[in-house]
Amino acid sequence: MAAQIGTVLGIGLVFLGFGALLLRRSLIWKLLGLNVASSGAIVFLVALSHRPGAVPPLSGYPEGTPSADPLPQALVLTAIVIHFATLALSLAYAISLTERFHTQETERIEAASEEEMER
Amino acid sequence: MKRALTIALLATLLGILLFGLTDLFPPAEVRPWAEMARAYGAGNGVASIVLGSRLYDTLLEVLVFALAMVGVRYTLKPLGKWREPVVPERGVVREMADVLLPVIIVFAVYLAASGHLGPGGGFPAGAIAGSGLLLLAMAKGIERLSRELHEGTLEPLEYGTITVLLVLGCLSILLNHRGSGLLVAFNLLIGIEVTIGAWVVLHYFASHRGEI
Amino acid sequence: MTAALLGVLGYFGFGIICFLIPRARFLSALALVCGTISFAIWAPGFPRGHLGLGDWAIPWEGDALAAAFWGLSLFLHAVLLLEEVGKPRHFYALLTLLFGTVLSLVLSRDLFNLYISLELTSLIAFLLVGLEGRAAQVWASLKYLILTSCGMILYLLGVGFIYARAGSLSLPALSAMPPDTAIRLGVGLLLAGAAAKGGVFLYAQWLPTAHGYAPSSVSAVLSGLVVKMGIVAMARIAGAYGAGDVLVALGLITGFLGIYHAFWEKRIKVFLAYSTMSQLGYMLLGFGWGAWEGALAYAVAHGLFKPLLFLAAGRAEDEAGTHLIQRLAGKLMLSTRLGLGLGTVAIAGLPPLAGYAAKGLLFLNLPPWGKWALFALSVGTAASFSKLLPTIVRGRKGWKPTWGQFTLGLVVVGGGVALCIGKASLLAPSSLISGLGAIAAGYVVFHLLRKLPLRPPHWRLDESLLALFLAGCALLFWVLLH
Repeated sequence: MAAQIGTVLGIGLVFLGFGALLLRRSLIWKLLGLNVASSGAIVFLVALSHRPGAVPPLSGYPEGTPSADPLPQALVLTAIVIHFATLALSLAYAISLTERFHTQETERIEAASEEEMER
Repeated sequence: MKRALTIALLATLLGILLFGLTDLFPPAEVRPWAEMARAYGAGNGVASIVLGSRLYDTLLEVLVFALAMVGVRYTLKPLGKWREPVVPERGVVREMADVLLPVIIVFAVYLAASGHLGPGGGFPAGAIAGSGLLLLAMAKGIERLSRELHEGTLEPLEYGTITVLLVLGCLSILLNHRGSGLLVAFNLLIGIEVTIGAWVVLHYFASHRGEI
Repeated sequence: MTAALLGVLGYFGFGIICFLIPRARFLSALALVCGTISFAIWAPGFPRGHLGLGDWAIPWEGDALAAAFWGLSLFLHAVLLLEEVGKPRHFYALLTLLFGTVLSLVLSRDLFNLYISLELTSLIAFLLVGLEGRAAQVWASLKYLILTSCGMILYLLGVGFIYARAGSLSLPALSAMPPDTAIRLGVGLLLAGAAAKGGVFLYAQWLPTAHGYAPSSVSAVLSGLVVKMGIVAMARIAGAYGAGDVLVALGLITGFLGIYHAFWEKRIKVFLAYSTMSQLGYMLLGFGWGAWEGALAYAVAHGLFKPLLFLAAGRAEDEAGTHLIQRLAGKLMLSTRLGLGLGTVAIAGLPPLAGYAAKGLLFLNLPPWGKWALFALSVGTAASFSKLLPTIVRGRKGWKPTWGQFTLGLVVVGGGVALCIGKASLLAPSSLISGLGAIAAGYVVFHLLRKLPLRPPHWRLDESLLALFLAGCALLFWVLLH
């Protein structure tokens, strides 16, 4: 039961994030939406490692107790680091663009940067 | 009109994924990991995968992290320093930093050193040490801290750590050298790497803030 | 397998040390030597080995695709080292790490290893695109980042679905799976994610601005090699699972829509970027219909003449001071015009150059209506490249070729001739006539259609995101209902 709720929550978070990414006009909101969506994918993966009545995959437990799946947790460790790194880089780019154009509306940034390239 | 279209599209995608989810439970059986964990000298299933069976993925991930920090550095450096330096805090923050900082550092080192036996490992340890540095920066003033943590020493340390990680990873994969000593070494090196990375992010974002 | 692993780790090691030591170009050349020795040892291929113990180890296998891409990467690395002299240290370091990751990706047979390798290649690509720091480049890099991150989130969801149903992440295990709903959905999500990284039209609308605004040598490597990594991932996944028809459909879409946008594009490097998107259609058609040999040959050939075009276009922009194609005529030196000309005729399919030879190989293994589709694509490519003819034919005198362009030109001509001699059916009169006929038809089509008042849409961030999700939704419906 916990696993089902976890996976539905994960997918819900992903689409909440995608919704913010598509519907908001400001760059920082879009990046926040991307962040929430990544976290949603991670929650989905972690929820898949649960088994009924499971204990964490450590070796101190008696033989025969069902243990949770260690692989999705290992995948998630890597995925969290990658998403953190990508988010840091995207925020650095956002700071650089905002410093240049003094706005965070994506349409104005796009138009201004095209114009700057023409010169 | 565009909003309605977008929401309809996302709802359709959501529906497809939830439909696929119904076929997913109960999930496949957990493969037995205890043998493999014993072979690698770990007491933690996740550590035996991250630092043992799929060590190559971890090496690539460390490269991703380091390169993102390189990117942040090279993007924000040309922007120049913000004209008002960040003012150090006084009062409660300073006092509590004096009390909490030793606990944070010791906890981070403990997590890194015992990551192969229980939950933890290099990555959370580095993140915790990074937030300890954040607390120190708030208490001491980031300008003073960045002067004391020499950029010139940190960069070679970061790249040197990654090189040592690559060499040790090579040993583990090719020569089949295994054991908990190697796992502790990996965890500590990754902890140092992530701390330096977190410090770079903190330092550059705080002192090169742009204008709105 | 040991040799391959040592080659890849050597690349990574030298790349990291390039950040520290001043002689970065020399260290990059050392990495190239290391990679070449490693390639010479394992060259024809090696059987499947596992990196690490246990059920979840990463399978690595060397086959013809891996060998072809190793050869292409090592050659492009040499060309770029010859071409770029005196750049700052971090440029050579990033370049070396990029080539190392490409070398690692083509050997992998594991879904999550493909994920990390794809993320690492595009991270280095973001850094290289935004390296010079102009605002349009930084925005192009950010758009690239946002769109590919969405794609990779879908990819991760796909990995989750497949792992939960199958209990394993390796591609050989995927081939043995029965077609449950969860597995089919997972494969669809994986293909959508890899398509967003791989430059397929509608999924990857970051490509025109990212490749169009980046510095020329960076565009050369991105169009020549990095974009194909997504295609390689798609080919491996679809090959393991048997979803070839998806690749065929995506190939047709990206081929024809890419040509439509390239035909009316006025800026030279953005034009070349749209052309890359359309050329990926050839490769996807080849992989989808099982013509792996032809698709590989075309991937390698494209990786030779597209960098030549980009490097020449970079010189052209510097000499003329503008990036609009109409204003380039009459201002370029003979060496730049030769580079552009050679690239144009190679991509249009003039016998016996590399483009003609690769298209011929692809032609051999396709079903009849596939041959018609390929012919139509060739006509379209020739038509869109005809707009460069005034620039190539008229210009100044001046002869200053660079070593990089010279080597690329040599291999484009020499490789094509060697392939034609090796496979005699490529020199048969019917093939020669169809190759020349496509070029002539393209020229005629260009002059007929160029006065039409049609303009392709302008792809901004919101439209690109909508296109990605719409196309991803369509892909999932197709995979589920099949």
